[in-house]
Order: sequence, then structure tokens, then C-alpha cells
Amino acid sequence: MRIEISGLTKTYKGGVAALDGLDLVVPTGMFGLLGANGAGKTTLMRILAGIMLPSGGHVTVGGHDLGTTTGRTAVQRDLGYLPQDLGLYPDLTARQFLDYMALLKGIDDRKVRRRRIGEMLEVVALTAHADRRLRGFSGGMRQRVGIAQALLADPQLLIVDEPTAGLDPEERIRFRTLLSQFAGSRTVLLSTHIVDDIAQTCREVAVLAKGRLIFRGTVAELTRRAEGQVWSVVTDGPAPADGTVVSALPAEHGMRYRVVAPTAPGPQARPLEPGLEDGYLAVTAR
Amino acid sequence: MIAFAASLRYEFRMQVRKRSVWIVPALTLVLFLLIGGSLLRDLFDPDEVPPEAKTAVTALAVQVYALLTIGFGCLLADRLVRDDRLRVAAILDATPARETARLLGKYLGAAAATAVPILVVYLGFTVAYAIHSHHPSAIGWAAAALGLVFLPGLLFVAAFALAVPLIMPAPLFRVLFVGFWLWANLVAPEQIPTIAKTVLHPLGGYPLTALLGFHGIDGRDSWAGPVPGATLNFLRPHPTPATAWLSIGVLLVLAAAALTSAHLGKRHAD
Amino acid sequence: MRPLTLWRYEASRVGWTAALGPPLAIALGTAAALVNPLAQDTARILLGGLEMVIPLAAAVACASIVGHDPAVELQLSAPTQYRSTVLRRVTVTLGWTAAVAAATAVVLIATGWWERWPANHGPFVGQLTWIAPTLGLSGLGFAAGCLFRSPAAAGALVTTVWAIQQFFGDAAQRSRPGRLLYLFATTRGSEPRDWTANRLTLAGAGAGLIVLALIVLGRKERLIGEEDE
Repeated sequence: MRIEISGLTKTYKGGVAALDGLDLVVPTGMFGLLGANGAGKTTLMRILAGIMLPSGGHVTVGGHDLGTTTGRTAVQRDLGYLPQDLGLYPDLTARQFLDYMALLKGIDDRKVRRRRIGEMLEVVALTAHADRRLRGFSGGMRQRVGIAQALLADPQLLIVDEPTAGLDPEERIRFRTLLSQFAGSRTVLLSTHIVDDIAQTCREVAVLAKGRLIFRGTVAELTRRAEGQVWSVVTDGPAPADGTVVSALPAEHGMRYRVVAPTAPGPQARPLEPGLEDGYLAVTAR
Repeated sequence: MIAFAASLRYEFRMQVRKRSVWIVPALTLVLFLLIGGSLLRDLFDPDEVPPEAKTAVTALAVQVYALLTIGFGCLLADRLVRDDRLRVAAILDATPARETARLLGKYLGAAAATAVPILVVYLGFTVAYAIHSHHPSAIGWAAAALGLVFLPGLLFVAAFALAVPLIMPAPLFRVLFVGFWLWANLVAPEQIPTIAKTVLHPLGGYPLTALLGFHGIDGRDSWAGPVPGATLNFLRPHPTPATAWLSIGVLLVLAAAALTSAHLGKRHAD
Repeated sequence: MRPLTLWRYEASRVGWTAALGPPLAIALGTAAALVNPLAQDTARILLGGLEMVIPLAAAVACASIVGHDPAVELQLSAPTQYRSTVLRRVTVTLGWTAAVAAATAVVLIATGWWERWPANHGPFVGQLTWIAPTLGLSGLGFAAGCLFRSPAAAGALVTTVWAIQQFFGDAAQRSRPGRLLYLFATTRGSEPRDWTANRLTLAGAGAGLIVLALIVLGRKERLIGEEDE
């Protein structure tokens, strides 16, 4: 399900421009969306999910125009959405919640619903907890319920907004694997500020900053943006002032800093091979 | 002390900024004026205004307080359960600030903020009346009414509005509260058993009668004391300054009991 | 027609107030009637329970439908329109209220208490005694809830409107518009000949407010903004 965005703007009350003339094409497959907090990622997700109307511009999803009510409803029939702030009904069990969401997604046939719910509970490894009330679920279990409801109607478009925030490492890996397996011929738009999630699952990525697109390309291209700009500095003095300090680890004689800077941040700096996070910092620093 | 002051300050700020805290009393006032406004208009009508400033502002206090307290109680109904809903309860409980200090700060801060529009209405009309009728003493009597009628009554209502929604949904409390307000203040004691005109009277019948000398606009009403044919007359001693202070004290003690129950109830739930 | 299961889920969303409010209202009204020593007032109090307390309970419940839905963002992204979902919740709330009120009315008619109140308007048309104020006040509560997105504010508004008409019944009925919008015309009405027009006006106003509220709900974005809480 191809997403085509042109000139997309969204301005909130008070003149806050969350999106500012965004042009972007999202093809089939796993696609990453990176950006700092406030970059406009969640606003974009909500517009694509049909929850918000843009202030200007044009968006089509699978050929449906999101500017019309029929277009939005058509997209929502084929949409799985996992919002950043996932709210659940604490008094329902996991099974009941999924049943309710399936009904809202238009799966009226009880046998079909039961089958899909059973399958999704297996996929997210919650079958043993299916009849427990959601108020007793941990954060990771709640996220799994969230992804299960998103996949219920076998959507062609899956939008996940910060899905791994607050999850332990094992759950994060499970989540990423699940999303990658699901992608295939579908479109999965993964919005996050955790660079490693993108690195492990996406081939292509876009970077937003202040509502604008500042990079669109492959993960390898983003990484290359930091070529010649990543340095290792070991010092027992203050952290290097030039560039962005990516990490600081205790070393034998002081601290070892990984720095992203256009030029060497000191005579003792040694060049390093860039990673995706370095590429992201190099692009957003401009 | 710092925790109490901080809690009071910020609870006040959060509540006073809410649009609904201002919209509800404003709409109430508009509706009240639309249906004739009773004393609000009579204050400026030379043929209808009570001859004494004390009577005029005390009657105004009764009307404003009786009417606007309903919105007051409803708006406060979910302040205590709100921390859980907004998921800040865990953060607040993890601070060294004592729970009692935070609870008191929340109680007084939220109640004071919600009372601000009520005071604005009451004092606004009082000042306008004082200027229009050339009775500056009205301001003094209004201050007395604030201290003897508004303050204990609003503290009483606020305490229950915070506490009761811990044991029932806030909307259900709102229904029961307005029913209680009607029963406790409007229903004639000789019709059905009620705490109207007793020392438990939330409208402050005893202070109105014994401390402010108020007997209705035309001086013929009884706001406290035994009622022939009514039950619960043992709660209706003869109105005197002593029984008036007793009534105020009873309302404040009940408020304290409600808050204590809320505190213990929350601790038990945690 | 959507499956019954969906209606069951919506019933679970409207909360305890919607479920307990109407029976509690009847219980309180009956208790008040029983302790009343004046026999001629008993019939008025019994009908008053239907005309006064039932609409209040339903209205506060309807005022609380929009505002505290934890999964509202998921709801808005589903192909089922959120206003349909909310309308189902309103229907469940008012439907249950109607069931309790109708059952009570049947008991009052069967026991003869209904006809003891002179202004009862008969067993059929007389059902407007509770239908009209319930629709009118609930429409106001629901519309206020959609507009303010605050159950506290909407609940405060409907309880205040109800209380103003209780405390100042005579003043509220001094003008014709006031009489047409008076909630308690059956048990406390000042002009009996205005009763039919009053009941139809209240019911119509309530229905109109519900329609208006559903139009407001079409603007989804408002529902995921910060609540005024």
C-alpha cells in the first residue's frame, strides 16, 4: 500500500507548525521514520491513520485520498494502528479487548473473530494470559496486546508509533522480528527515535526535523552521511566541546568519547567507522 | 510545610486555569438571570430591595451559595482520583513529601480555586449594590457572610466531593450530591426527615439566624430551630450564638472526618 | 445491524452510573414517598421520582460518555465511526433508563398510584412525564460533554440546570419559554394547559441537542487533544 504525501502541512492552534510542506513517498515494505521529539512524526502518523485532518497538502494511501471521508474510511478498513500513547480498557480481559476491537474494525462474523483473536494471541505469545484483565498486565504485555489489535484485520498498512519505548531488550527484539515478518508485501511505517530499531528492521528511512523532511534514502545512505565525521577521543579532561558526544565510557586514562563532528575535535581524535546513529546525528546537526 | 504549600499552590493554579471552573458558574448566572434572577435584580430595584444592607447581602449570600455550590461540588468530584487517571500518583507517592501534606494542599488549593468564581459573583454584586445604594456597610456584612456561611459550607462540600468518589464513580456522586443538596436545604422538614434547619444544615441556618440575624428577605422565615411536626428536632436546638458556632464546628469536623477517611482509604487501596 | 456483542461492549463502557443511577433514583423516590406523612403528597412524590430523579441520573450519565475514553485514539483509527460508537452508548444509557422508568410506571399504574395524581395525563400519553425531561436534560448533558470534553463540567451544568428549576420553580415558569422548558411540568407545573407543548418542546430540544453533539463529534481531532481536566 503505497503512501504519497505532497506539500503536507499541519498547523495547530497558536500557530505551531507541526508539519511544514512535507513531501514523501513510502513504498511497500518496512519503512522507518526517525526524528527528535516534536519533529512531527506523531502528527504525521495521526494524519495517515485518519484521526487528524491536515491543514494543507495532499495525501493518498493505496490510491485513496485522505482528504475525503470515504477515502479515510477506506484506508482505515485496511489499517493497523499502534499509537504512541496506547490506552486500553483495564476492566476487559485481553481476549475481550481484542474481540471489541475486531468488531470496531468490522469483523462481525463471530467465528472469524474467534479465529483471528486466537491467532494473534499466539503471535504475540499471550494465549496463556488471554483471560486476565488488562489492568494486571505489565507494560510489555500491554504493548503486545496493542500490536495484536493492530494486526487483527490483517491490514495492508501498519502504522506503529514508538512501539518499543519502555520494553525490555528481549521484548524489543521480539517486537522487531514480528514487524519484519509481517511486512513482506505490506507497508509498515515504523516511527521511532530509537535508531537501533530502524537499523535492525528497515531498508529505507526518512528523517524529520521541525516538521520537514531532511533526509530520505536507505539506511546505508544515512549511515554514509557521517563518513569522516565520527571520532574517538580519550581524555581525562572535559568532554570535547565541538560536535555531538554520542557516548562516554570510562577508559584506562580518563573517558573515551565517541563524537560526531565535521572536523577532528582535537589532536588526539581518531576516526571511526560510522553507524546509523552517527548518520542521524550528522544529518540533524546541519 | 513546604510540601503543603507547594501542593496548595499548584493545585490552585491547575484548577483555577480550567475553563470549566469559570464557564459553569457563568452559565449558572446567565440561566438564573434569564428566569428572573430573583434577588440579583431586586438589589437594584428601589421597590424590591430589602431596606437593610445586612438583609440584602445576607439574602444574596444564601442565593449565590445555594445555587453555585452545586457546580462547585460537581467540579471537585474527581480531583483526588485524577492523579491515578493521569498516572502521576506513583511519581507523587515516591517523593519524600508526606501524604497528609499533599492531601491537605490538594483539598485547600482545589477548593479555593473552584470557589474563586463564586466569590467573584458574590462580591461583584455586593460591591455594585453598595455603590448603587450608598451602603458601604454592605461590604463588611458580606465579609461576615463569607466567613460564617460560605467558608464552613464550602469546606464541608469540598471534603466530601474529594472523598466520596474514592468509593463510587464520580458521575454517580454528582447525582447523589445534587439530590443531597436539595434534600438537605430545600425540602420542608415537616414533609420528610431532613437535616434542613438542624445544626448539620449545610446552608448555615444557625449562623444565618443567630450570628447574622437573618430571617428571610421579608423577615418572616425561620432558618434554624425546632419545626412543629418534623422529625429530627433533637438536632434543632434553639438558635443562639453558641449553637451557631456549634453548627459551624460540626460542619468542619465532618469535613475533617471525610478527609481522614479519604486518606485512610487511599492508603488501604495502595 | 451490528452484532449484539458490540452493544454489550458499549454497555460495559458507559459505567456504573448509567447502570445504577435509574434504579437508585426510583429507590430514593420511593423511600421519600414512604416516609412522607402527608398522604396526598405520596402520589406526587412517586411521580416526581420518575419526572425528577430519573432524568437527572440519565443526564449525568450521558454527560460522562465523552471525555474519559482511554482508548479513544484506537477508536478514532477504526473504520467504525466514533460518533456511531458514542451514539450506541447513549442509546444503551437511555434505553436502560427507559426500561427502569417504564417498569416503574407500570407498577404505579397497576397499584393505582398513577391515577391518584390529578395531572397524570393517562397511562399512555402520561409516559411523557419522564420521557420528555429525560430526553431534554440528557440531550443537554451529552451535548455539553461533547463540547467541553469534560464530564465534570457537563455534569455540573446539568445538575445546576436541574437545581435551578427545583429551587426557583415559580420564577422559572413566569414566561412562556420558561414554561415550555420546565422539566417538572407534571408534578410542579403552574399552567396545566401548557403541559403537552412543554413535553414536546423538551423532547424535541433534547433530540436536537443530541444531533448537534454528534455533528461536533465529527471533528475527531478535538477528542485527542488535552482534556480540560
